[in-house]
Amino acid sequence: MATARAKSVRTGYLFVLPALLLLLAVLGFPALFSLTLSFRPESGGGFSLEHYRLLLEDTLFHQAFWNTGLLVGLSVAAHLGVGLAVALALNLPLRGQPALRLVALLPWVVPDVVTGIIWKWLYNPLNGALNDILLRLGLLAAPLDWLGGRYLPLISVILANVWRGFPFVMIILLAGLQAIPRERYEAASIDGANALQRFRYITLPGLRKMLIVSLALDTVWEVRRFGLIQAMTQGGPGSLTEVLSTLVYKQYFAFFRFEYASAMAVVMAGVLLLVSLPYIRMISREE
Amino acid sequence: MGSWPFRVLVYGFLLMLAIYVLFPFAWMLSTAAKTESEALAIPPTWIPKEPTLDSVIGIWVRKNFALYFFNSTVISLATAILSVFFGSLAGYGFSRFQLPGKRVLIGFFLATQMLPGVLLVGPYFKVLTATGLYDTRTGLVIAFLTICLPFATWTMKGFIDGVPLEMDEAALVDGCDRLGVFFRIILPVLGPGMVASVLFAFLLAWGDLLWALCLTTSEEMMTVTLGIARTVGEFRIIWPMLMAGSLLGGLPAILLYLFLQRFLVTGLTAGALKE
Repeated sequence: MATARAKSVRTGYLFVLPALLLLLAVLGFPALFSLTLSFRPESGGGFSLEHYRLLLEDTLFHQAFWNTGLLVGLSVAAHLGVGLAVALALNLPLRGQPALRLVALLPWVVPDVVTGIIWKWLYNPLNGALNDILLRLGLLAAPLDWLGGRYLPLISVILANVWRGFPFVMIILLAGLQAIPRERYEAASIDGANALQRFRYITLPGLRKMLIVSLALDTVWEVRRFGLIQAMTQGGPGSLTEVLSTLVYKQYFAFFRFEYASAMAVVMAGVLLLVSLPYIRMISREE
Repeated sequence: MGSWPFRVLVYGFLLMLAIYVLFPFAWMLSTAAKTESEALAIPPTWIPKEPTLDSVIGIWVRKNFALYFFNSTVISLATAILSVFFGSLAGYGFSRFQLPGKRVLIGFFLATQMLPGVLLVGPYFKVLTATGLYDTRTGLVIAFLTICLPFATWTMKGFIDGVPLEMDEAALVDGCDRLGVFFRIILPVLGPGMVASVLFAFLLAWGDLLWALCLTTSEEMMTVTLGIARTVGEFRIIWPMLMAGSLLGGLPAILLYLFLQRFLVTGLTAGALKE
């Protein structure tokens, strides 16, 4: 029996092994490569913390860091808010609900480059649709330069990103809502719970896991967001919409500072891993 | 369902949602069908006065879009199939075996999803250049495995968890070995899950810009998203052309999604839903 068990364990590892080796080769190795690169002086050879020291003083890096924080924080919060509201509405027995569900996921399906370009055109101050609508509705007195000025560019990027990203959170939460047994709601109604109480004591606890999963995945994806910003503003005007991913890309392929870019990317990866650690622990504990 | 004011409120909300979601697409379509001078009208017209396909045809011919489509399709499909094949094997291993160190392994697979692409593009650029794989479709497929393989493993594990253990046991009793069980018993019932995972990986690869931008340089290797992104960077933007390009770049993803929608939604939630 003991040998049979050992054999079964070996078989199990053999199933996992190809994917594991492949991941170590295509992902583990380059990640370590980047890590060692970040400790190498630009003159070559040796070990130095110089790049990390420079990061502390680099105001461009600081700006990209905070821009990323704002972009991710506000986008994810809005995705959750809009996504939950839409999921709750689509979970009601409504006419035309399947069609709406189909339509609602569309922004998430198209490449984010396409989103960036469409919204760049929507935002166009003279010929864009957004100013036209707002002017006609009387909500604006004069055309607004959505991608100009001090604060507006980042906000505009975030607004486009909300459109693109809420459907993913919505679809995960909708699946979670549908998995909550209907009897629980009926029992609560009989016990005299009102709508708010049912939401608080049945819906929210029932969605707990889905909320954590969608929050974690969405955060990771938004930190990595690149195509939308690259297509829409390329980090500009100036560096007002520069985020970590666009800045690291520039350090690599516009300034060719590979070692410095690696240090930036390592900090970014470190923050991401730290943020997602509770999620990773939660999921791997369940297994 | 509730009182009538509540119903009006919900329907009103959903109507606004539909407009919010669809308007940017409508604006893209409308602009793609305009002449350049009409696209630059102030105030903008909402419906093209003289609808024309000139921009769609123009960008297809001028930008070599047929080639871009070929590249994107081959790359995304190869990535998706490889990811789902290796992901299914690993998913089966995780689902069916009590492996010592399984938690660490699963943690590793999850953590790989957290690494940003920009951490890897630099080393990839160097290694692919050194091995002659820079500016090749193969190079991009290898790079996309870093995003797609962990996801495919996770979703396939979710689907395999849903297949009753008795199916494996019956086949094992009948004298099938494990690999036989996997290929002859498990894979055939995983059809929908495989479609979902392939579709998801395909969309991830299709939508990428970062890797194509960093790991290719020639016109022959240009992907659809890179081709569109290059067009925005041009000195003078011709908006109807750019919207036609966006339409062409988004359409395959939209069509695939519309046909396979059922699968995609189950795929997205397979890893997360089971209690």
